Amino acid sequence: MRAKDQGIALCGSCHSLTKHPDEPCVFCGASVSLRKPNSLQHVWAFWIAGIIAYVPGNLYPIMVTDSLSGTSASTIIEGVAALIHHGSYTVAAVVFVASIIVPVAKFAVIAWLALTIHFQWTVSKKRRIEAYEAIEFIGRWSMVDVFVVAALAALIQVGGLMSIAPGIGINAFALSVVFTMLSAMSFDPRQIWDEPSV
Amino acid sequence: MALHTAGARDTEPEDVASNKRSDAVTLNLRWTACSVCDELYRLPTLREGEVAKCGNCHSVLMTNKTRHAERTLALMFSSLIVYLVAIIYPFMRMDRSGFSNEISVTDAVLILWRNDMQLLSVACALLILVFPLLRVVILSTLATATYLYRRPNLGLARFARLAQILEPWSMVDIFMLGVIVSLVKVGTMVDIALGAAFWGMVALVVFLTLGAGMSCRDSTWRFLRGSR
Repeated sequence: MRAKDQGIALCGSCHSLTKHPDEPCVFCGASVSLRKPNSLQHVWAFWIAGIIAYVPGNLYPIMVTDSLSGTSASTIIEGVAALIHHGSYTVAAVVFVASIIVPVAKFAVIAWLALTIHFQWTVSKKRRIEAYEAIEFIGRWSMVDVFVVAALAALIQVGGLMSIAPGIGINAFALSVVFTMLSAMSFDPRQIWDEPSV
Repeated sequence: MALHTAGARDTEPEDVASNKRSDAVTLNLRWTACSVCDELYRLPTLREGEVAKCGNCHSVLMTNKTRHAERTLALMFSSLIVYLVAIIYPFMRMDRSGFSNEISVTDAVLILWRNDMQLLSVACALLILVFPLLRVVILSTLATATYLYRRPNLGLARFARLAQILEPWSMVDIFMLGVIVSLVKVGTMVDIALGAAFWGMVALVVFLTLGAGMSCRDSTWRFLRGSR
Protein backbone atom coordinates (compact mmCIF):
# COMPACT_ATOMS: atom_id res chain seq x y z
CA MET A 1 0.00 0.00 0.00
CA ARG A 2 1.40 3.34 -0.99
CA ALA A 3 0.93 6.61 0.88
CA LYS A 4 0.02 8.54 -2.25
CA ASP A 5 -2.92 6.21 -3.02
CA GLN A 6 -4.34 6.96 0.45
CA GLY A 7 -3.99 10.71 -0.12
CA ILE A 8 -1.27 10.80 2.52
CA ALA A 9 1.89 12.82 1.95
CA LEU A 10 5.24 12.52 3.69
CA CYS A 11 7.02 15.68 4.78
CA GLY A 12 10.44 15.63 3.16
CA SER A 13 11.96 17.47 6.10
CA CYS A 14 10.62 15.88 9.29
CA HIS A 15 9.25 12.63 7.79
CA SER A 16 5.82 13.07 9.30
CA LEU A 17 2.65 12.13 7.47
CA THR A 18 -0.21 14.44 6.65
CA LYS A 19 -3.67 14.02 5.16
CA HIS A 20 -3.49 17.58 3.85
CA PRO A 21 -0.87 17.60 1.12
CA ASP A 22 -0.05 21.01 -0.35
CA GLU A 23 -0.38 22.69 3.03
CA PRO A 24 2.77 23.51 5.03
CA CYS A 25 3.76 20.76 7.44
CA VAL A 26 2.02 21.35 10.81
CA PHE A 27 5.14 20.24 12.64
CA CYS A 28 8.11 21.80 10.89
CA GLY A 29 6.61 24.32 8.45
CA ALA A 30 8.20 22.81 5.33
CA SER A 31 6.05 22.70 2.22
CA VAL A 32 4.62 19.24 1.66
CA SER A 33 3.25 17.60 -1.46
CA LEU A 34 2.48 14.09 -2.64
CA ARG A 35 5.38 14.45 -5.07
CA LYS A 36 7.82 17.33 -5.49
CA PRO A 37 5.96 19.62 -7.91
CA ASN A 38 7.58 19.84 -11.37
CA SER A 39 10.48 17.76 -10.10
CA LEU A 40 11.81 16.88 -13.55
CA GLN A 41 11.65 20.48 -14.75
CA HIS A 42 13.77 21.59 -11.81
CA VAL A 43 16.15 18.70 -12.37
CA TRP A 44 16.66 19.69 -16.01
CA ALA A 45 16.93 23.41 -15.28
CA PHE A 46 19.75 22.91 -12.77
CA TRP A 47 21.30 20.23 -15.00
CA ILE A 48 21.50 22.61 -17.96
CA ALA A 49 22.85 25.41 -15.75
CA GLY A 50 25.44 22.93 -14.48
CA ILE A 51 26.54 22.01 -18.01
CA ILE A 52 26.75 25.67 -19.01
CA ALA A 53 29.06 26.38 -16.06
CA TYR A 54 30.95 23.11 -16.49
CA VAL A 55 32.34 23.96 -19.96
CA PRO A 56 34.23 27.18 -18.99
CA GLY A 57 35.13 25.51 -15.69
CA ASN A 58 37.18 23.00 -17.65
CA LEU A 59 38.41 25.17 -20.54
CA TYR A 60 39.65 28.19 -18.56
CA PRO A 61 42.54 28.09 -16.09
CA ILE A 62 41.59 27.53 -12.46
CA MET A 63 44.96 28.61 -11.07
CA VAL A 64 47.57 31.17 -12.12
CA THR A 65 51.09 30.75 -10.73
CA ASP A 66 53.39 33.78 -10.83
CA SER A 67 57.04 33.05 -10.13
CA LEU A 68 60.52 34.18 -11.15
CA SER A 69 60.39 31.78 -14.06
CA GLY A 70 57.27 33.49 -15.42
CA THR A 71 53.52 33.18 -15.23
CA SER A 72 51.78 29.89 -15.86
CA ALA A 73 48.09 29.15 -15.85
CA SER A 74 46.67 25.67 -15.48
CA THR A 75 43.27 24.15 -16.09
CA ILE A 76 41.78 21.30 -14.07
CA ILE A 77 43.19 18.60 -16.32
CA GLU A 78 46.62 20.31 -16.44
CA GLY A 79 46.60 20.31 -12.64
CA VAL A 80 46.11 16.54 -12.66
CA ALA A 81 48.86 16.18 -15.28
CA ALA A 82 51.26 18.23 -13.11
CA LEU A 83 50.60 15.93 -10.13
CA ILE A 84 51.33 12.86 -12.27
CA HIS A 85 54.48 14.57 -13.51
CA HIS A 86 55.64 15.08 -9.91
CA GLY A 87 55.01 11.41 -9.23
CA SER A 88 52.14 12.02 -6.77
CA TYR A 89 49.96 9.33 -8.29
CA THR A 90 47.58 8.83 -5.36
CA VAL A 91 46.78 12.53 -5.07
CA ALA A 92 46.52 12.79 -8.85
CA ALA A 93 43.99 9.95 -8.77
CA VAL A 94 41.97 11.64 -6.00
CA VAL A 95 41.80 14.93 -7.93
CA PHE A 96 41.04 13.14 -11.20
CA VAL A 97 38.15 11.22 -9.66
CA ALA A 98 36.73 14.19 -7.72
CA SER A 99 37.09 16.81 -10.46
CA ILE A 100 36.56 14.86 -13.65
CA ILE A 101 35.00 11.42 -13.13
CA VAL A 102 32.45 12.48 -10.49
CA PRO A 103 31.04 15.53 -12.34
CA VAL A 104 30.76 13.63 -15.63
CA ALA A 105 29.18 10.63 -13.90
CA LYS A 106 26.79 12.95 -12.10
CA PHE A 107 25.59 14.59 -15.31
CA ALA A 108 25.16 11.18 -16.92
CA VAL A 109 23.32 9.57 -13.99
CA ILE A 110 20.96 12.49 -13.39
CA ALA A 111 20.08 12.68 -17.09
CA TRP A 112 19.58 8.90 -17.25
CA LEU A 113 17.30 8.92 -14.17
CA ALA A 114 15.23 11.79 -15.54
CA LEU A 115 14.92 10.12 -18.94
CA THR A 116 13.86 6.76 -17.47
CA ILE A 117 11.03 8.59 -15.66
CA HIS A 118 10.07 10.70 -18.65
CA PHE A 119 9.94 7.87 -21.19
CA GLN A 120 8.99 5.19 -18.64
CA TRP A 121 11.90 3.01 -19.67
CA THR A 122 11.87 -0.37 -18.00
CA VAL A 123 15.00 -0.27 -15.88
CA SER A 124 15.47 -2.05 -12.56
CA LYS A 125 14.11 0.19 -9.80
CA LYS A 126 16.69 -1.05 -7.35
CA ARG A 127 19.54 -0.13 -9.70
CA ARG A 128 18.12 3.35 -10.18
CA ILE A 129 17.80 3.96 -6.43
CA GLU A 130 21.38 2.82 -5.91
CA ALA A 131 22.58 5.19 -8.63
CA TYR A 132 20.54 8.05 -7.12
CA GLU A 133 21.89 7.48 -3.61
CA ALA A 134 25.45 7.24 -4.94
CA ILE A 135 25.33 10.64 -6.68
CA GLU A 136 23.60 12.27 -3.70
CA PHE A 137 26.41 11.02 -1.49
CA ILE A 138 29.39 11.69 -3.73
CA GLY A 139 28.36 14.91 -5.52
CA ARG A 140 29.67 17.38 -2.96
CA TRP A 141 33.22 15.95 -3.13
CA SER A 142 33.74 17.63 -6.51
CA MET A 143 34.29 20.83 -4.53
CA VAL A 144 37.75 19.62 -3.55
CA ASP A 145 39.53 21.48 -6.38
CA VAL A 146 37.86 24.72 -5.34
CA PHE A 147 39.36 24.38 -1.86
CA VAL A 148 42.77 23.47 -3.30
CA VAL A 149 42.80 26.74 -5.23
CA ALA A 150 41.47 28.74 -2.28
CA ALA A 151 44.09 27.32 0.12
CA LEU A 152 46.97 27.91 -2.29
CA ALA A 153 45.83 31.41 -3.28
CA ALA A 154 45.58 32.44 0.36
CA LEU A 155 48.84 30.85 1.49
CA ILE A 156 51.29 31.27 -1.37
CA GLN A 157 52.03 34.98 -1.41
CA VAL A 158 55.84 35.38 -1.25
CA GLY A 159 56.47 39.02 -2.02
CA GLY A 160 57.74 39.20 -5.58
CA LEU A 161 59.09 35.65 -5.61
CA MET A 162 56.04 33.54 -6.09
CA SER A 163 52.30 33.91 -5.82
CA ILE A 164 49.26 31.89 -6.74
CA ALA A 165 45.96 33.40 -7.81
CA PRO A 166 42.71 31.70 -8.78
CA GLY A 167 41.79 31.62 -12.47
CA ILE A 168 38.35 32.49 -13.81
CA GLY A 169 37.63 28.79 -14.40
CA ILE A 170 37.37 27.97 -10.70
CA ASN A 171 34.32 30.22 -10.23
CA ALA A 172 32.56 28.50 -13.11
CA PHE A 173 33.54 25.07 -11.81
CA ALA A 174 32.30 25.85 -8.28
CA LEU A 175 28.96 27.02 -9.69
CA SER A 176 28.73 23.88 -11.79
CA VAL A 177 29.14 21.70 -8.67
CA VAL A 178 26.49 23.72 -6.82
CA PHE A 179 24.04 23.41 -9.75
CA THR A 180 24.48 19.65 -10.06
CA MET A 181 23.96 19.26 -6.31
CA LEU A 182 20.71 21.24 -6.61
CA SER A 183 19.73 19.18 -9.65
CA ALA A 184 20.17 15.91 -7.75
CA MET A 185 18.25 17.32 -4.77
CA SER A 186 15.32 18.27 -7.01
CA PHE A 187 14.85 14.69 -8.12
CA ASP A 188 12.03 12.89 -6.30
CA PRO A 189 13.01 9.20 -5.99
CA ARG A 190 9.41 8.23 -5.25
CA GLN A 191 8.66 8.79 -8.94
CA ILE A 192 10.65 5.64 -9.69
CA TRP A 193 8.07 3.59 -7.80
CA ASP A 194 5.10 5.36 -9.38
CA GLU A 195 5.63 3.34 -12.54
CA PRO A 196 4.07 -0.05 -13.00
CA SER A 197 6.32 -2.76 -11.58
CA VAL A 198 9.24 -4.05 -13.63
CA MET B 1 3.01 23.56 24.39
CA ALA B 2 1.58 20.16 25.24
CA LEU B 3 0.00 18.26 22.37
CA HIS B 4 -2.93 15.91 22.55
CA THR B 5 -1.71 12.52 21.59
CA ALA B 6 -5.06 10.78 21.89
CA GLY B 7 -8.72 11.66 21.62
CA ALA B 8 -8.19 13.99 18.72
CA ARG B 9 -11.90 14.10 17.94
CA ASP B 10 -12.75 15.49 21.38
CA THR B 11 -10.88 18.76 20.76
CA GLU B 12 -12.77 22.02 20.26
CA PRO B 13 -14.14 22.27 16.71
CA GLU B 14 -13.51 26.04 16.58
CA ASP B 15 -9.79 25.59 16.95
CA VAL B 16 -9.11 24.19 13.48
CA ALA B 17 -5.33 24.52 13.56
CA SER B 18 -4.94 22.69 16.84
CA ASN B 19 -7.44 20.10 15.63
CA LYS B 20 -5.40 19.52 12.49
CA ARG B 21 -2.27 19.19 14.53
CA SER B 22 -3.68 16.62 16.92
CA ASP B 23 -5.09 14.70 13.93
CA ALA B 24 -1.61 14.71 12.48
CA VAL B 25 -0.12 13.54 15.79
CA THR B 26 -2.58 10.65 15.88
CA LEU B 27 -1.82 9.76 12.27
CA ASN B 28 1.90 9.76 12.99
CA LEU B 29 1.49 7.60 16.08
CA ARG B 30 0.08 4.85 13.89
CA TRP B 31 1.67 5.14 10.47
CA THR B 32 4.86 5.99 8.70
CA ALA B 33 5.98 5.93 5.08
CA CYS B 34 9.22 5.26 3.25
CA SER B 35 10.77 8.52 2.04
CA VAL B 36 12.38 6.78 -0.92
CA CYS B 37 9.53 4.69 -2.35
CA ASP B 38 6.39 5.97 -0.56
CA GLU B 39 5.34 2.57 0.84
CA LEU B 40 3.01 3.02 3.84
CA TYR B 41 3.74 1.10 7.06
CA ARG B 42 2.26 0.69 10.52
CA LEU B 43 4.65 2.55 12.81
CA PRO B 44 7.21 0.00 13.98
CA THR B 45 8.15 -0.12 17.66
CA LEU B 46 11.90 -0.01 17.81
CA ARG B 47 14.08 -0.71 20.82
CA GLU B 48 17.29 1.29 21.15
CA GLY B 49 19.74 0.35 18.45
CA GLU B 50 17.14 -1.29 16.20
CA VAL B 51 16.64 -0.24 12.59
CA ALA B 52 13.50 -0.75 10.50
CA LYS B 53 14.07 -1.21 6.80
CA CYS B 54 11.59 -0.78 4.01
CA GLY B 55 10.49 -4.15 2.68
CA ASN B 56 9.96 -2.67 -0.76
CA CYS B 57 13.14 -0.72 -1.54
CA HIS B 58 15.33 -1.82 1.39
CA SER B 59 16.30 1.70 2.40
CA VAL B 60 16.23 2.66 6.08
CA LEU B 61 12.66 3.37 7.21
CA MET B 62 13.23 4.34 10.83
CA THR B 63 16.02 4.36 13.39
CA ASN B 64 16.21 4.57 17.15
CA LYS B 65 19.89 5.05 17.77
CA THR B 66 21.32 4.12 21.16
CA ARG B 67 21.61 7.09 23.57
CA HIS B 68 21.57 9.41 20.57
CA ALA B 69 21.04 12.64 22.51
CA GLU B 70 23.91 12.12 24.99
CA ARG B 71 26.32 10.97 22.32
CA THR B 72 25.45 13.75 19.90
CA LEU B 73 25.73 16.31 22.69
CA ALA B 74 29.19 15.05 23.70
CA LEU B 75 30.51 15.09 20.14
CA MET B 76 28.95 18.44 19.24
CA PHE B 77 30.38 20.03 22.37
CA SER B 78 33.82 18.66 21.43
CA SER B 79 33.27 19.95 17.90
CA LEU B 80 32.59 23.42 19.25
CA ILE B 81 35.86 23.43 21.20
CA VAL B 82 38.01 22.28 18.27
CA TYR B 83 36.12 24.66 15.98
CA LEU B 84 37.36 27.55 18.11
CA VAL B 85 40.91 26.17 17.94
CA ALA B 86 40.53 25.82 14.17
CA ILE B 87 39.52 29.41 13.56
CA ILE B 88 41.67 31.22 16.13
CA TYR B 89 45.10 29.60 15.86
CA PRO B 90 47.46 29.66 12.84
CA PHE B 91 46.51 27.11 10.23
CA MET B 92 49.67 26.87 8.12
CA ARG B 93 52.96 28.67 7.68
CA MET B 94 54.89 28.87 4.47
CA ASP B 95 58.62 29.61 4.17
CA ARG B 96 60.60 30.27 1.05
CA SER B 97 63.89 32.13 0.59
CA GLY B 98 63.52 34.21 3.72
CA PHE B 99 59.88 35.07 3.12
CA SER B 100 57.31 33.57 5.41
CA ASN B 101 53.57 33.78 5.53
CA GLU B 102 51.47 32.46 8.41
CA ILE B 103 47.71 32.35 8.06
CA SER B 104 44.69 31.28 10.04
CA VAL B 105 41.52 30.12 8.30
CA THR B 106 39.87 33.49 8.93
CA ASP B 107 42.98 35.22 7.48
CA ALA B 108 42.62 33.04 4.39
CA VAL B 109 39.05 34.23 3.85
CA LEU B 110 40.10 37.87 4.32
CA ILE B 111 43.15 37.52 2.02
CA LEU B 112 40.95 36.07 -0.71
CA TRP B 113 38.51 38.94 -0.29
CA ARG B 114 41.20 41.63 -0.37
CA ASN B 115 42.87 40.14 -3.44
CA ASP B 116 39.67 40.43 -5.48
CA MET B 117 38.55 36.84 -5.16
CA GLN B 118 35.25 37.68 -3.51
CA LEU B 119 33.31 34.69 -4.82
CA LEU B 120 35.90 32.22 -3.55
CA SER B 121 36.14 34.12 -0.27
CA VAL B 122 32.39 34.03 0.35
CA ALA B 123 32.14 30.39 -0.71
CA CYS B 124 34.88 29.40 1.74
CA ALA B 125 33.45 31.51 4.55
CA LEU B 126 30.02 29.88 4.16
CA LEU B 127 31.04 26.29 3.41
CA ILE B 128 33.80 25.88 5.99
CA LEU B 129 33.07 28.48 8.68
CA VAL B 130 29.41 29.52 8.84
CA PHE B 131 27.46 26.39 7.83
CA PRO B 132 29.47 23.93 9.98
CA LEU B 133 29.17 26.23 13.01
CA LEU B 134 25.42 26.67 12.53
CA ARG B 135 25.04 22.92 12.23
CA VAL B 136 27.05 22.25 15.40
CA VAL B 137 25.06 24.85 17.35
CA ILE B 138 21.68 23.54 16.15
CA LEU B 139 22.52 19.88 16.70
CA SER B 140 23.79 20.60 20.24
CA THR B 141 20.66 22.60 21.02
CA LEU B 142 18.43 19.79 19.75
CA ALA B 143 20.38 17.15 21.66
CA THR B 144 20.21 19.21 24.86
CA ALA B 145 16.47 19.70 24.47
CA THR B 146 15.90 15.99 23.78
CA TYR B 147 18.07 15.02 26.73
CA LEU B 148 16.67 17.44 29.31
CA TYR B 149 13.00 17.85 28.45
CA ARG B 150 10.21 15.39 28.15
CA ARG B 151 7.69 17.64 26.44
CA PRO B 152 7.42 18.18 22.71
CA ASN B 153 9.00 21.37 21.50
CA LEU B 154 7.92 22.55 18.07
CA GLY B 155 9.68 25.88 18.54
CA LEU B 156 12.86 24.03 17.64
CA ALA B 157 11.39 22.42 14.52
CA ARG B 158 12.48 25.21 12.20
CA PHE B 159 16.05 24.95 13.46
CA ALA B 160 16.02 21.18 13.05
CA ARG B 161 14.92 21.70 9.46
CA LEU B 162 17.71 24.21 8.90
CA ALA B 163 20.31 21.74 10.21
CA GLN B 164 19.10 19.18 7.67
CA ILE B 165 19.23 21.67 4.82
CA LEU B 166 22.77 22.64 5.83
CA GLU B 167 24.06 19.09 6.02
CA PRO B 168 25.34 18.67 2.43
CA TRP B 169 26.65 22.26 2.39
CA SER B 170 28.86 21.94 5.43
CA MET B 171 32.14 21.01 3.77
CA VAL B 172 34.98 20.94 6.33
CA ASP B 173 35.77 17.35 5.31
CA ILE B 174 36.16 18.28 1.65
CA PHE B 175 38.14 21.38 2.59
CA MET B 176 40.66 19.27 4.51
CA LEU B 177 41.06 16.92 1.53
CA GLY B 178 41.68 20.02 -0.60
CA VAL B 179 44.30 21.26 1.87
CA ILE B 180 46.13 17.91 1.75
CA VAL B 181 46.11 18.01 -2.05
CA SER B 182 47.50 21.55 -2.04
CA LEU B 183 50.27 20.50 0.39
CA VAL B 184 51.33 17.86 -2.12
CA LYS B 185 51.13 20.37 -4.96
CA VAL B 186 53.49 22.97 -3.52
CA GLY B 187 55.40 20.85 -1.00
CA THR B 188 58.41 20.67 -3.29
CA MET B 189 58.56 24.42 -3.94
CA VAL B 190 58.03 25.87 -0.46
CA ASP B 191 58.44 24.70 3.14
CA ILE B 192 55.09 24.35 4.87
CA ALA B 193 54.59 23.99 8.61
CA LEU B 194 51.23 22.92 10.01
CA GLY B 195 49.75 24.95 12.85
CA ALA B 196 47.43 24.08 15.74
CA ALA B 197 44.39 25.04 13.68
CA PHE B 198 45.22 22.38 11.11
CA TRP B 199 44.92 19.68 13.76
CA GLY B 200 41.87 21.44 15.15
CA MET B 201 40.23 21.10 11.72
CA VAL B 202 41.21 17.43 11.51
CA ALA B 203 39.59 16.86 14.91
CA LEU B 204 36.53 18.84 13.80
CA VAL B 205 36.08 16.59 10.76
CA VAL B 206 36.32 13.48 12.98
CA PHE B 207 33.92 14.76 15.66
CA LEU B 208 31.40 16.14 13.15
CA THR B 209 31.33 12.91 11.16
CA LEU B 210 30.96 10.75 14.28
CA GLY B 211 28.39 13.13 15.75
CA ALA B 212 26.29 13.16 12.60
CA GLY B 213 26.38 9.35 12.56
CA MET B 214 25.23 9.08 16.17
CA SER B 215 22.50 11.70 16.05
CA CYS B 216 19.13 10.18 15.30
CA ARG B 217 16.98 12.25 13.00
CA ASP B 218 13.88 10.10 13.49
CA SER B 219 14.04 10.05 17.29
CA THR B 220 14.67 13.80 17.39
CA TRP B 221 11.62 14.50 15.24
CA ARG B 222 9.50 12.06 17.24
CA PHE B 223 10.50 14.00 20.35
CA LEU B 224 9.89 17.44 18.81
CA ARG B 225 6.39 16.62 17.59
CA GLY B 226 5.44 14.67 20.69
CA SER B 227 4.88 11.27 19.13
CA ARG B 228 7.41 9.05 20.80
